[in-house]
Amino acid sequence: MILSDIIAQQLVNGLVLGSVYALAALGYTMIFGVIKLLNFAHGDIYMVGGFVGFMILSAISSLVGEGWIGIFCAMFLSMLAVGCFGVLIERLAYHPMLSAPRLSILITALAVSLVLQNAVLALTGGEHTAFRTDLGFDGVELGTLFITYNQIILVASAAALMIALEVFVAHTRYGRAMRAVAVDKDMCRLMGINVETIIGVTFFIGSALAAAAGTMAGAYYGSIWYFMGFLIGIKAFTAAVIGGIGSIPGAMLGGLMLGLLEAFGTQIPGIGSEWKDVFSFSVLILVLVFKPTGILGKSEQERM
Amino acid sequence: MRKGWSEFTKKFLIAAVAALAPCSVAWADDSILIGVQVPQTGSSAVRGFSMANAAAIAAQEINAEGGVLGRKIKMMIADAACDPQAAVNAASKLAARHDVVGVIGGYCSGATLPTLKVYGRADIPFVITASNSTKLIPANPGNAVMINSTGDAHAAKVVKFLKKKRAHTLAIVNEGDAFSQDLGDLTAKDWKQEGNDVVAFETVNKGEQDYSAIVTMIKSAKPDAVWWTAYYADGALLIRQLRQAGYRGIIVVCDGSISDKLFDIAGGAAEGVFGISAPIAELLPKAAQFVRTYKAKYKSAPGSFAALTYDGMQLMAWAIDKAGSTDPDAIIKALASVNGQEWLTGPIVFTKDKTLARSNFIVVEGKGGHWVSVGE
Amino acid sequence: MATALRRAGHLVLRFSRGPCSPFMRRAGVAIILAFMALAPFVLHSYGIVILTNALLYIILALGLNIVVGYAGLLDLGYAAFFAVGAYTVGILTLNFTVDFWLTLPVAVFNAALAGVIIGGPTLRLRSDYLAIVTLGFGEIVRLCARNLSITGKATGLTGIEQPWIFGWHIDTPRDFYYVFCVLTVMAVIVSTRLAKSRLGRAWLYVRHDEDVAEAMGINRTTVKLQAYVIGAIFASIGGAFFAVNLGAISPQSFSFSQSVIILMAVILGGMGKIPGVILGALIVILGPELLRDIGQLRLLVFAIGLLAIMLFRPGGIWPGRI
Repeated sequence: MILSDIIAQQLVNGLVLGSVYALAALGYTMIFGVIKLLNFAHGDIYMVGGFVGFMILSAISSLVGEGWIGIFCAMFLSMLAVGCFGVLIERLAYHPMLSAPRLSILITALAVSLVLQNAVLALTGGEHTAFRTDLGFDGVELGTLFITYNQIILVASAAALMIALEVFVAHTRYGRAMRAVAVDKDMCRLMGINVETIIGVTFFIGSALAAAAGTMAGAYYGSIWYFMGFLIGIKAFTAAVIGGIGSIPGAMLGGLMLGLLEAFGTQIPGIGSEWKDVFSFSVLILVLVFKPTGILGKSEQERM
Repeated sequence: MRKGWSEFTKKFLIAAVAALAPCSVAWADDSILIGVQVPQTGSSAVRGFSMANAAAIAAQEINAEGGVLGRKIKMMIADAACDPQAAVNAASKLAARHDVVGVIGGYCSGATLPTLKVYGRADIPFVITASNSTKLIPANPGNAVMINSTGDAHAAKVVKFLKKKRAHTLAIVNEGDAFSQDLGDLTAKDWKQEGNDVVAFETVNKGEQDYSAIVTMIKSAKPDAVWWTAYYADGALLIRQLRQAGYRGIIVVCDGSISDKLFDIAGGAAEGVFGISAPIAELLPKAAQFVRTYKAKYKSAPGSFAALTYDGMQLMAWAIDKAGSTDPDAIIKALASVNGQEWLTGPIVFTKDKTLARSNFIVVEGKGGHWVSVGE
Repeated sequence: MATALRRAGHLVLRFSRGPCSPFMRRAGVAIILAFMALAPFVLHSYGIVILTNALLYIILALGLNIVVGYAGLLDLGYAAFFAVGAYTVGILTLNFTVDFWLTLPVAVFNAALAGVIIGGPTLRLRSDYLAIVTLGFGEIVRLCARNLSITGKATGLTGIEQPWIFGWHIDTPRDFYYVFCVLTVMAVIVSTRLAKSRLGRAWLYVRHDEDVAEAMGINRTTVKLQAYVIGAIFASIGGAFFAVNLGAISPQSFSFSQSVIILMAVILGGMGKIPGVILGALIVILGPELLRDIGQLRLLVFAIGLLAIMLFRPGGIWPGRI
């Protein structure tokens, strides 16, 4: 392969990876925005979303087939189900903790994460589950560059979801309320906004996006596993922070950046792929040294 | 509510002391206790279950024929969880019992390694049935035997196989854990000694599903063969992505990837993939009965280390019988001297390092969703 | 009779509110120390191994408590310092045959250095960004350990020799148990002293409001760096003895999960106050061991238990005064 094609190919790889990271990072950043919680269980919501999507697809595959149409149907249903599940978790585990010290709610999130992981572990016995789909592997060939249709569809779907989210946040009442709650919760209460409902909506959307990512990734890569949420959780967290936590465009940017960093980080001349994550984290740390609130993060102004 | 914490704390501490206090209740009957050290939690749990099941079948058969020294075998499972500290805790629990006569098992080499010292100090014979990293050999205090061929034999086998296939350039992909990295290094050394090129030596993270960047690198390096030295879950994804991207060369996987699950996840992409395998039960002529028994009892296929663990239990029982007592030194001497018996996985004879004297690896190929033997 | 009962009742109430009088406090400490000293004669080797493990985590949790509890810095990569101590000892004793006791100062120095390197970039960061940077450093240290030959790559270092001191070879579980007892007592004493010291108060102010603290003349950079360095030293000493105890170390023991476990220990018990942190470490280590007999579901049961504890005791089981 000639160099320019290799670079182009890695660009494509990075975009695909980054789209999944971005979707997961969005939920992270939104939840942080409204209740200032680093939701360690978010990665496991992604994992649950993948499993739910898989189960739904198995159930409805006779109706809609196992191609992209079937996957999208399963994805939407999974988004609904897991969105509600996310709200449930918030009501049961996080809502009572909002007045507790910040670190306690963090550990609660960790505990929720462990419960989800071990529950799925108990159900699947630790085995990877094959996410069987009927996706063809055709694509577009441009010289030695090969882009599969699946990749295009995945990136396009992720983009569509992100655009939908932007529209929601910028132009609807709920979206405006979300942004307001993220700035000053108590003021919102005074203004008559039902903060609890908004928090619930935020969790619903965040979890739904994670579920979408989980289902799409599960279908695209071909397997799901109880531990996959843990790894995605770290990546989503990293991506959200690089972009500026609390900022929605920041999460999208951070996700894409992280995907590209990982793709190109595998191929740095002279440095082997075993250093890929060191590379990604080093870039992250450098970004934060120069921009302490992330790339698109707003500098906080503390009023005395 | 303030009183609540003191109540809780008191109860917790009492429970802790009770759990850690010496077990004054020994087995009331006259059984021989054999420990089975396998992962029961964590990502390797699946392997651990199949190994424990195989050991249980062996124990059952031995007991049906009168047991060992006229006494029945009782199994006690210790969860190594594929983590060094957890394995040491589990091994210590076994070693603390005065009635444990021997231990079999050991899957994750990294977890098995520190337990060698624990059993060595307690003078308990240990038959290692799956772990085969070469780093175990120097750490063996003398009471352990390894019945799975080690990494050296593994590397030698794949190099020989690829030579027969006339491959000259190789890409090696490992998962950054003790076993797969060691195997990758050993293979790279042997391969280069033959005068060939290792065009890519890549590490991926376990559980990360996207290997597209590695695949792109490998494709651009154009190796004749790709050698995957890690496990089936990620191997399946790598194979799928390699073939999707258009790589048409030879793909070989190691014994950690030998599982029917590979075909489940990789689908058609795994057709024609080769494997260097531990002796798996389905391909052993003598193991047909064992496979039937396993499937009937556990409703699933025996894993790739089931036959070895079955043999491990049988070997331990044989050694205790030969020693004529539960004296650990006599048992270890009996183990080291085994020669000429019939085992499921073939002849077992040990070198002075207490490793298998012959390579028990076989070459298999993926055909129609199963592994079929391709001969030695 | 009635007055005697009432007096007894008062005493019980007073005692259960926490040991208040110096006498009761000293009595409690004496009882604990006696139990610790006699434990190896009561428990068999499995119990000793588990207790030693618990003591290690108490030391680690106390160290992290300094960073998180005293100074308020959310460190998600604490295992990095643990690794620095362990690998320093391993590399020096194996490759350069340095005597263990001489490697300890090097380990402490390396940890202090690591504390400065890791703490440095975080000084300007808000707590959540600080968390990710420390997580990043934790992963970087682990990956370096996994990739470099000097640290044994993924297999790690094996055959680390157990140390001698004044002619006594520390090599049985019981020996290590006593060593860790001594270390734990030292850690508790140092932690207590620190909390009451000027530095401890400075941490308290910085934790509550950095700008006000700065206005009062506290140099927050120095104070934060000191927290990292001292916390790192705790971890590296724990790591050094962990290495010689286990005899073999590998990158697996220094993962993000490890940092999370230590953090859980600090917060679960009630961060800030030493008895709470000790209790948290005990729960986190002994919990899964106590549940070992349940089999495969034990981690799930443990996780549910953890969640229940957090929901019912949000400040941790034994919270310190905020």
